[in-house]
This record gives sequence, structure tokens and C-alpha cells, in this order.
Amino acid sequence: MSTNEIGSVSAAVSLTVNGTKVEREVAVRTSLADFLREDLRLTGTHLGCEHGVCGACTVLLDGAAVRSCLMLAVQADGTVVTTIEGLAAPDGTLSPLQQSFMDHHGFQCAFCAPGFILTAQTLIDRGQSLSRDDLRSEISGNLCRCTGYASILDSIEAAITDALGPLIDTSGASK
Amino acid sequence: MRASLVGKLVGSSVTRKEDRRLLIGKGAYVADVVVDGMVHAAFLRSPHPHAEIVRVDVAKARRSPGVVAVYTGEEMKAKTNPFVNFAMLAGLYSPVFWPLATDRVRMVGDPVALVIATSRAQAEDALEHIDVEYRLLRPVGTMAAALSPGSEQLWPKNGSNVVYEHTDTFGDVDAVFASAEHVFTERFSSHRQSNQPMETRGCVAEVTPSELVFHSATQSAHSLRWILAIGTSRAGAVDTLKALKANRVRLKSFGKSAKEFLTANKDELSKNDNAGMIHQVRRDPSTLRHIGRLFSNTLALDARRLPRVVAGDIGGAFGVKGHPSREDVAVCAAAIDLGRSVKWIEDRVEHLTVGGTARDETITMSMAVDNGGHILGMRADLVVDQGAYPAVPFGAPLFTRIMKVMMPGTYRPKAFELRTRVVATNKAHYVAYRGPWANETWARERMLDIVARRLGMSAVEIRLRNMYGPDELPVKMITGPTLDVEMSAKATLERANALADVDVFRTAQAQARESGRLLGVGFATFHEAAPGPPDYADALLPGGGMISSEPIRTVLEADGQVSVFTQQVPHGQSHETTFAQVAADELGVPLEQITVVFGDTNRTPFGLMGTGGSRGGPMAGGGSMFAARDLRKQIIDQAAGLLEAAVDDVEITDGTIHVAGVPARGISFADVAGAVRREGKAELASSVSYDGGRGGWVQATHVCFVEIDADTGMVSIPRYVVVEDCGDLINPAVVDGQIRGGVAQGVGSVLYEKVAYDAEANFQSSTFIDYLIPTATEIPAVEIHHLQTPSDKPANFRGVGEGGMIGAPAAITNAIEDALAHLGVTVTEQYLPPTRILELMGVIARSA
Amino acid sequence: MKFPGFVYHRPTSLDEAVELIGRLGGDAKVLAGGQSLLPVMALRLGQPEHLVDISRVSGLDVLAHDDGVVRVGARVTHAQVEDAPMVRRYAPLLADAMPWIAHRTVRNRGTVCGSLAHGDPAAELPAIALALDASLVARSVRGERIIAARDFFEGFLTTSLAPDELLCEVRFPVVAPGTVTLVSEVSRRHGDYAMVGLAASLRLDGAGSIDDVALALFAVGSTAVRATKAEDALRGRTLTPDTIATAVAALREELDPPGDNHASPAYRRHVAGVVLARTLQGFAADAAAISGDAA
Repeated sequence: MSTNEIGSVSAAVSLTVNGTKVEREVAVRTSLADFLREDLRLTGTHLGCEHGVCGACTVLLDGAAVRSCLMLAVQADGTVVTTIEGLAAPDGTLSPLQQSFMDHHGFQCAFCAPGFILTAQTLIDRGQSLSRDDLRSEISGNLCRCTGYASILDSIEAAITDALGPLIDTSGASK
Repeated sequence: MRASLVGKLVGSSVTRKEDRRLLIGKGAYVADVVVDGMVHAAFLRSPHPHAEIVRVDVAKARRSPGVVAVYTGEEMKAKTNPFVNFAMLAGLYSPVFWPLATDRVRMVGDPVALVIATSRAQAEDALEHIDVEYRLLRPVGTMAAALSPGSEQLWPKNGSNVVYEHTDTFGDVDAVFASAEHVFTERFSSHRQSNQPMETRGCVAEVTPSELVFHSATQSAHSLRWILAIGTSRAGAVDTLKALKANRVRLKSFGKSAKEFLTANKDELSKNDNAGMIHQVRRDPSTLRHIGRLFSNTLALDARRLPRVVAGDIGGAFGVKGHPSREDVAVCAAAIDLGRSVKWIEDRVEHLTVGGTARDETITMSMAVDNGGHILGMRADLVVDQGAYPAVPFGAPLFTRIMKVMMPGTYRPKAFELRTRVVATNKAHYVAYRGPWANETWARERMLDIVARRLGMSAVEIRLRNMYGPDELPVKMITGPTLDVEMSAKATLERANALADVDVFRTAQAQARESGRLLGVGFATFHEAAPGPPDYADALLPGGGMISSEPIRTVLEADGQVSVFTQQVPHGQSHETTFAQVAADELGVPLEQITVVFGDTNRTPFGLMGTGGSRGGPMAGGGSMFAARDLRKQIIDQAAGLLEAAVDDVEITDGTIHVAGVPARGISFADVAGAVRREGKAELASSVSYDGGRGGWVQATHVCFVEIDADTGMVSIPRYVVVEDCGDLINPAVVDGQIRGGVAQGVGSVLYEKVAYDAEANFQSSTFIDYLIPTATEIPAVEIHHLQTPSDKPANFRGVGEGGMIGAPAAITNAIEDALAHLGVTVTEQYLPPTRILELMGVIARSA
Repeated sequence: MKFPGFVYHRPTSLDEAVELIGRLGGDAKVLAGGQSLLPVMALRLGQPEHLVDISRVSGLDVLAHDDGVVRVGARVTHAQVEDAPMVRRYAPLLADAMPWIAHRTVRNRGTVCGSLAHGDPAAELPAIALALDASLVARSVRGERIIAARDFFEGFLTTSLAPDELLCEVRFPVVAPGTVTLVSEVSRRHGDYAMVGLAASLRLDGAGSIDDVALALFAVGSTAVRATKAEDALRGRTLTPDTIATAVAALREELDPPGDNHASPAYRRHVAGVVLARTLQGFAADAAAISGDAA
């Protein structure tokens, strides 16, 4: 589409998804989320609200977390996309973050899981020091209706601690 | 983490069996289901709260690209049977209604037409080409309007918007109130809230050459199956008679089962005097005609055409997916009509609009007390707004029966009276939401604080003075059920009081007030029938005992694995893990050797309860224990022969069956299964129908600490403590997760979430920008302390699914009032957003 | 909730983009990050016939400090602004706003110019543009037009951008030395649109008297607004409790905020004053600390 397909209702897109080059013709009104779920059958990306609030559809686009419901597939042309299916090793070994979520009973129904895991992955990738409150704030764009978030925070905190060292301790700080 | 600890799994936070697939994106939720030739559904929904449908023109929509079919309400009516309530209560009018609106719409979002197209996008496009002419009716937008005799009637056959009215009286209420030194009265109101699981509702009606498979996010696969069968079996009288004749065998077998059922439940059934049915038929005689037809239609249905319901992974529900929906029946009927598979995945706007709402109630409560703060009597007037349509198969009227039983809590009033009215308004229907009766706790615990403050007592003092203690047990609640010797509500309160250290807090609170900071603490104690004592069900309803048993089937499979089949449909509760823990311990095998099978009506035992009512742990957990225990006995019997040993000498260690003390003389479960097969015997299996044994109560005290920003009205929760007793914990991490999740929803209820309508019933919260689900920055850390009152109950598990949500609104609102009490504030509303806080404080004027 | 159909265009040069928008006029919407436009389309509240995706238009990715202004091109995302030390240094009020804008996931796609062109009265950036007297650069086949922020926001989701114009860039004047800034808001939940928000910029002269002040409020009307009466109450004064009280009273007097399901008009009016008072008290405390340090 980069050449001259101006004014189209469908377009060819070429992108890398979980390390695999993908080329498809898509209707331009197709969201990235629906493209992943329906055209590529990567149904790990979930649609919770389709208006950009709940975060369940979060994927990594060139390494940054984005809402795949608020993006057209055609806008992802030329990008590198990582979905929840792209985190575990090919032999099925969970990523450290996924393993931490298992160890800490991170989720219940887990419909929100892909969004939380990918959002949390960017925190590890960015390598910034965070406090527990920072962590709350960083994941506040993702809704979970089951857990009350404590187990999600515990899971992420443990994975960050393993990867980057302990969180910043603010427990002694005054209000 | 400790999944290989054989025999000690119960009580350990083993990692979840369901997690691997869910964490790598390989869960199978209903939206993920794709079948050959599938087409997609979208519903045209009413923009008006109340209107007559004058004309529906779908001609243009039928020509819209990709459209396969369009059904109007009348067209769908011709292909379906209506929804008719079977759980008739004396004094209840339950309207007969259809999958799509026919003559009128009664709420914003009422489904008016169904479009089937090759993609959901095209189906949505076509909706814009449907032209509906409405004649607007006066909307009934408030409870007060519904109670007013002059209001427009949603269901004219009832003659009123009050669809249920009933009064229950226990003890001599008038005498107690007349003699009391004080009577305090307050009117409490809660607001419309919504479950809002992260996954909306949805289904795929898959048409195959041999069967109709209905993939669904449902909490109750078997009840959905029968609702679909009833709804979609519509046939003409002649065809029905022919089919009934042709199906004589089936008719006979039905007759036999009916007879068995009637015999088995003779006592329960005799308690019902049919007053409910008489009340209903007097108002709408067509009820009988519809029941007759749908009953004969369903009976005439070829057994192979009974829908097979399959539930996969489910993205939460909290009650809303326990109700088979009008959309389910419409989609299923369309699939049958078209002979094509049809998928419907509700979008969030639909789910917020008509997915299901709850808790819109007012409770005017009076307490008669003496000078010592003893509660002598309670009287309450409850009004519930059930919205436009009753929930299927039961909704608000039934939940008021639970409120009736539970409202006195674990206190000892000598008399109690509850007047109940359920009204219809032009709002979305009222569904079960996590502890659907919870407002009995909220109103009572709120009232106790108000009474205590007026008598100059502390919140803890008034509760301790009135609560049944261990030395008084067992004792019957005034409403009927027995508080057994393990009932430990008072112990949870005492422990919570110690943990809260209220004296220290009061000093801090006083100092904070000096500098303009507002701190508060609130307590709430409740008990919950999860599953409740044996006499609980009868206290709810005459004949209520019929529905209380839980089927579990265990099977030794050919490969040595043990399957546990359940009618429960887990949707986040971790049943695949917890039932396996219980069964594995009984059998002496590792967790990996157990597979919990759920969701498929062709494979799971029949049960209409599904997952709900906090029954999973106590009922299915208990059932798993006994079904595994029985299977173990069968396995040992078989193994004894193979090992040439006496049965008493055979034991199971770490998954190996061997002669006691001689681990080398052992065989595997697969060996036993193989021997059974070689001998031509039936597979080893055990089916139990567990009645809950002695049952019992789960109980808890919540303590909430708040700080209120006096300038902005923002409420924060620096500390939240739960002390609870659910008996033995199968998996502590799962238990804690349920409690925390419930508390989080309670926080949402009080501070963030409101299903908003204007006074004319126009809907105003159709997005997640309007309906605020709390995020990680709003939910406090919750400290949980478990009491485990010793018990000799063989399966000492009690349910924890709902309790967090039952206790939280009371504890939070009590804390808020405590923070504002010095300003003379009395909190009688459940929804307290920042604007309302500043209004209560007198900082700003009340908005219109 | 699927997007309605549209025709998609992806020009690569500014001339091409401007020509397209000129030709399609009111039937077209510009798509940059899509974080405001696509939700509207998903809800079918807007159904543009054409989308002109400017993500490949060259020259719109400028994020630079240049000739007394900080230039932010139409393709620049909130996240890029948030991560740029240059912005923190030269346009601190703009940097202050970033963490308040939704969540990082949205900021990774959403653009500064997109938010301005959308003109949501509850959003942060229109207020920032007003407070800083930003200039908005619009291009059409008719040429380039520079619009002052105060002339840009005309009403609820309405700007003075003509249907054939593309907002190419916004220019924020570089902060004057000695200026203190703060963005502060009260919202229902973290990341929500504000119930009340304030973008404040203030400079004290050597004697501690206020020689420049800008107060822009958001979520209190049909557009973001400058609180001119409160500014007047501050200009030339020192930051005493009395001055602050006068400014707060002036602010509450001049606002006429709307009510909605999240906050009543009275709440917004009251809390606007609270936010202003706290902001000014913070500035006063900072100033005292600085002069204390100097002494």
C-alpha cells in the first residue's frame, strides 16, 4: 500500500507478527484486533470494549503497548507486532512474566490477561525503576473485574524484581 | 508451586491447572469459536425507553451488502415460544414476553430486529437501514413513578407497575415496637449497578448435520439448554401431536421421570399451594395456553434436536451469565431457521445497555431498641426496581426471598417484618449480581451504626451486644434457618476489632480533624448461606429444598487418569484446580492425574444450578470428595483382586496402588482400568448427588478505613481488613482472590459505578467512559485473616464467591459516615461520588 | 461495534495530503493516531466517508526547539513529547500535562495535534495551548494560516479549522526564565477525563510580585477557558493567602460549568477553586523555599 493505492476500501498489508512475516489483503475498516483475531486466528488478543478503555486488546507495536481496537490493520503496515502468543518460547516454556503470573495466581477468568501481560512486559523492557504505586499507575489503563488487582501487582512486581531488582520502597515516605 | 505434594493438596495454594492455556493466549472463549459457514448477528435496539412499535420496515436492510436474513419481532415471535416464569410466587405477576419486542419497546436497548450477515460489520451496517416507526409512551423512569397509581403501565394485564407484593412477619412486631424505648427509622437507597465482566455475553449456534451445538458463555449450561429447547421448539398443533405420537417412547420415559420426580419431592411439592400460579393466571389467562404449548412443543422435540450447550473458557460473569437471554433464543432460532451457524458476540455498549443491571433498591428500615442498645425488633419496607422484563429463569422476586431470610443477620431481634414490592420500570432488566441479596446486609449494618451513634455506643459494641455468640448455638434465626455451632460471625467481629485497634484510630482521627483531615472507620458483619444449613432452603420458599443437591461423577479413564464431571461452569473460580485438589487427595494421586470436565451438556451430569450462589466449593467440592472416595473404594476392590491381597491391605501412595507396607507390590491406575476393560466390566465410575451434608454458614467482618479529602470529596481507602471463616480452605490463593475481587466490586459500587438513567429512563452510561470500573489505582490492598472454626463436618468447605461484595458496601459507607459524623451527616445512599460527598458535607448545594 | 465503511487514503507528501483534504472537504477526516477519532467511529457517532491517514506524510514529525518556540508536528505522539527532555526544559507545562493524558498505551498512539484538532473541552492539551498562547499552523491548498490558540477553540468539539485545512504543527512559546508551571486535575479515576483541570503558569519578579500568569481550565465549559478574572486578581500581586483567596473567589465567579454524571456544576465550580488554591499555595511554598535557599 505504500506505493499508490490511494483511495482504497481494501489494502495489502505487510507486517511481522510474533516473528513471522505476514502479508494479507484487508478491508481498510478492519481493526488491528480483528485482523489478528480473525485473519491470523491469533485469538489470544481479546476485545473487551472496542472503544479504547479496557486494555484487553493491548499488543506491542514496534515494542510499544497500543490498543489494537483503536487502530486499523492498515495502520500497522510495516510494523512489528507482538501478541500474547508471541511471548512463550516455541517449546511452550512460559516467559518469566507469564510464569510469575502462574506462580502468584495472577488472574481468575484471565480475559484481561493478554493486555496486562503485554503492558507489564513493556515495563520490564523499559527498565525504569518503579514503586508499587508507580506500578498501579502504569497498569491503570487495563481493567480487571475479577482480582481486585493485588495478585496482578504481585505477579508483575515479582517479575520486575527478578529482571531489574526490587521496586522502589516508598513505604517509609510520608503522605 | 507444590503441585506434586500428593495427599496434601487441600489447603495448599497450588498453581492453577487452567493457567497455562490462559497465559499463552490459547484459552477458548466463545468469541474465539469459528465454525464452517458461520454468519453473524446484530440486534437493532430501541432508542426509546417506552414506545409502541407502529411499523418496522426491513426491506432496505434485506438488500444491504452481506445480509443473509432480517427478522422483525413478529417474524421471530412466529418461530419461538415466549419466556414464561415457572417459579411462581404467591403475589407475583410475571409477564409473558418474546425474544424480540413485538408490540412495544419497554427499555432503551430492547431488541426490535435481528440482522444476520456474513460479517458483524455488515450486520451493523444493515441495522442503519431498518426503519422503525414508534409512538412514544410515557416512560416510567423512577421507582416513585412506578409506585404511583397514575403511571403508564408496562404490563397492562397486571393492572399496576407493582409486579410482586408480599409481607412476611415473624414474631409480634407491633407489640415489640409499641413497647420499645426507641424506634429509629431510615430510608436507604442503592443505585443501579452492573456486573460488567470483561467478556460480554455471546454465543455461536453451530448447525451441524447431526446436531445443534450452542457454544455459549453461560454459567449454567443445562438450564440454558432447556430454555433454548423451549424457546425454539415452536411448532403447530398438528405437527406437535404427530411428533408426540411418533415419540411414544420418549413420552413414556418422560412420564416415568416425572413420576419419579414427583414421588421423590412429594414433601417439598406439597408445601406449595399453587397460589402463585392462580395469581398469575388470573391476570393473564394466556399463560396457561403458552405453558401448554411450549411444554408439548418441547416434549415433541426430537431428542436429537435438543440443543447441546458447550461452554469453554468464560471471561467472568458474577451472575449475569446465569440468565439465559432473549438474544440467545433469537440467535438459536435464526440458526435453526436458516440451517446455518450464527455467531453473536455482544459488544460493550450492548452489554452496558441491556446486559443486565442490579441492586436498584430502597429499604426503609426501623429498629426498635431499648436503652441498652438491644435490638428488640426490625421492620423493613423493601422496593426493588426489576426494570422492564423479569430475568430468566428467575430474578428480583426470588432474591427478595433471600433478603427476607438474611436481613436479621446473626443478631437476635424478637420480631421482624418485611414488606416487599417489586416494580417494573423502563430500565434494563435486573439480574443476579454477586450476592444479589446483599442490600439486606448493607441496610442492616448501616442502620446499626446509626442506632449506635444515636445511643452513644460504638459500632462494635452494638454488634457484640446483639450478635449470637458460640454459647448460644445452635439457635434458629427468627426467619427460620439454624445457626449451627460453627457459626462464628461474632468471632470474626472480635478478631477484626482487635486488628483494627479502634482506640488508637480514634486518637488519630481526632488529631486529623484538628488539621482538617477526615478519617473514618467502618465495620460490617454478615453471614451467608453458602450452602446454608439443611433448613435454609425451606425458609426461602415453600418447597425450596428441591433444587439443592449437586451432581458429581468421577470416572477412572482407560489411561489411568481420573475425570471429575461437574455441571458447574467455572468462569474464573479455578474449579479445574480446586475440585482436582479435593479429588486427588481422596484418591492419593497427584493433581496432574485429575481432569475436571465441565461445560458440555452431552458430557456433564444434569443440574440446573450451574455456577452461582457460592456453591462451587461447598457443593461441588464436597461432591468431588465423596465421588472420589467412592471411586477409590472401587479401585481398591478391583486392585485387591489383581494384587491378590485383602481389600483392607491395599492402599494408594503417590498414585501407586500397592499392598500396605510393600510399595514394590504395586500397580498403576491404568493397570486397574485395563483389567476392568479386559474383564468386560463397566468402567469404574461413581455418581453422587451431594446434598451439602450439614451445610453451614460462611461469615466475615469487614473493616474499612477511609480518608476523605474535605475539599474535593475524593475518598481513599488506606486500609481494608477482612476476617472471614469459610471452614477449610481448599486453595488459599483462590479463596483470597475471590474475597479481594468481591471487595473491589464493592468499592466500585460505592465510589465509582452507577448505571445512569435520567428521570425519563433515557440511558446515560453506555460506555466505559461513563460506567467506571475501578482500576489498580482505586482498589486498596486488602488484608485477609482466616478463622477456621473446628468442625467434624466431613466436607468442611463453604463458599466465598460472593461474600467480598456483600460486606464491602456496608463497611465502606459506614466508614464514610464515621469520617463525616461530626458534621451531622447520616449516610443513607450507597452511591457516594465526590459530588455527593461535598453535598452531604454542606460544602456545595445539592444538584437537582 | 465495528467501524463503518470508509475510503482510506495515505498520502506521503504534505501537498498531496492538503490537496486530498481540500478535494474531499467535509467528507474526510484526518487520521493520525486515531485515539479520539476511532472510538467515535466505533460507536458510530461519526461516519466519515474518507479517512486521510497522515502517518506517512513527510515533514510532520518535527519535534524541535526552534527560534523561541517548541514545534510539535502533526505526527508527534504524546509519548514522544513525554520522553523528550527538550520539552521538559523549554515547555515544562506541556511536559506536565503528559502523565495526565489517558494512559501510556493511548499516549503511544495519540498525537498532540490530533487532540487539539479534536478540541475536547475535558482534554488537557487545549488548555495547555491556551495557557501558553500557542500558535497552530494550518495548511490548505489556499496556503498556510497561523491561528492563535485563543481563536482556535470555538465550541464543544469544534475548532476554527476549515474543512479543507490540515493542522500541521503547533508551536509553544519557550518558557521565560523564572516561570513555574503545574497541571493539576481532579478526576474520578486515574487516567479519566478531568472533572476539573487547571494548567497554570506563573512568573514572579525579583520582588516576589506576579508579573505574568496564565490560568487555563478544562472540563468546566464547552471549551477550555482562560480564567481572565482570576489572572487579573493575581497579576502584580504577591502570593499571599489573601491574594490566593481573592483569585479563587474571582475564578468561582467567572466560571459557569456544566453538570454531568461525574460531577455537578456546583462541584466543578467549587473544586476549580480548590485546585487553583492548591496550585498557588504550592507555587508560594516553592518560592519561599527558593528565597529561603538563597538567603
